[in-house]
Amino acid sequence: MPDHTDLLFDYEAALAGCAAGDQGALRRLYEQEGARLLGVAQRIVRDAALAEDIVHDAFLKVWTRAASYDPLRGAARGWLYTITRHLALNAMRDTAREVTVDDDAAAAIDADASMAQWSDAADAFAWQASPGRITDCLGQLEPVRRNCLLHAYVDGLSHSEIAIKVEAPLGTVKAWIKRSLVALKGCLS
Amino acid sequence: MNDDLHVLAGEYVLGTLSASASAEVERRLLNEPALRLAVQQWEADLLPLAAMAPPVQPSPQLWARIARSASAPVVPAPRRGWWDSLGLWRALTAGSLLACAVLAVNLAGRVAAPQYMVVLVAPQDKAPGYVVQANARHQVQLTPLGTAAIPGDKSLQFWTKAEGWKGPVSLGLVKPGQTITIPLDALPNVQPNQLFELTLEPVNGSPLNKPTGPVQFIGRAVKVM
Repeated sequence: MPDHTDLLFDYEAALAGCAAGDQGALRRLYEQEGARLLGVAQRIVRDAALAEDIVHDAFLKVWTRAASYDPLRGAARGWLYTITRHLALNAMRDTAREVTVDDDAAAAIDADASMAQWSDAADAFAWQASPGRITDCLGQLEPVRRNCLLHAYVDGLSHSEIAIKVEAPLGTVKAWIKRSLVALKGCLS
Repeated sequence: MNDDLHVLAGEYVLGTLSASASAEVERRLLNEPALRLAVQQWEADLLPLAAMAPPVQPSPQLWARIARSASAPVVPAPRRGWWDSLGLWRALTAGSLLACAVLAVNLAGRVAAPQYMVVLVAPQDKAPGYVVQANARHQVQLTPLGTAAIPGDKSLQFWTKAEGWKGPVSLGLVKPGQTITIPLDALPNVQPNQLFELTLEPVNGSPLNKPTGPVQFIGRAVKVM
């Protein structure tokens, strides 16, 4: 959960400091977000040492690229998470990630037919605790579909890893994720 | 709503795309503002979910490593941002002084003396493209230094944001080569370091109240002595 310090911490000023070569600004960002970013990375790569490598690389990227951050787009805090998640996901991709091409149309039919089987699946995440509009929108999804999205975003799992986790066919999981994204988009906008 | 675009952007942000599909999205992001915007929206929308991963206290060595790496001279070229190029700032300072002098002579008696000046430069080659002057009459004047062509199906949109503002504010569309004076009416006076930029947008301007296209020229306000 974000605490009130998020609202008081000036991320944009810290990034401007980094762009100007002020290492104190980088240190402030680290003290503000280091533990949370390490949590995000470790959840994805599931290895403490590798997670620290990723946070190291993420802060170095922030340091060298702070000048290219465009303050007119997106929030500065989000930028830190985007960088960290990409590094962590890429580290997992380098080790193993399927490059499968399924018949998505067949999978979509399969997805509806098989829904009943998972309709009483339990939630795998305490998603209600997250603030923001996203929580209301997640609440409108079937628990098993919600789990698929969260296994992807929070755990960094691939389609096939999610399929194993929720015990559903790969094609079904792919179709669920696509449809859930469409539903979320409709709800969020 | 373009479902395919939002699904692709969503899967990219979720991280479920294969390495090659993800790299393909990154390549497309460079020239597809709609895709870029869709990705930015998912990043912002899903960010609260990152709080589900509990924080992990880093080892004491981690900061030391980061600090060491950040202090190391950048030998080959993980290029520093253009803000850090001493040559650029020297050139810009000279350029600004020149522009200031030329404009001061040309404009004397026509507009109030500028209080703030901004030289807007192209992010890639740092070529100065526009000069912005803000005067005491609560106006900003945008003066082109050349006539850079833009694609026929695009327009240039002028934006500003001062520190502490919630978001950028559009100052309107700009024709290449055109000098315009814009009353700041509803906006507070220009502040030191206030950001100004011109972005490439659809013909009728950004569909949102924020930039969606690539930055063409960018700079920050400095007070004129």
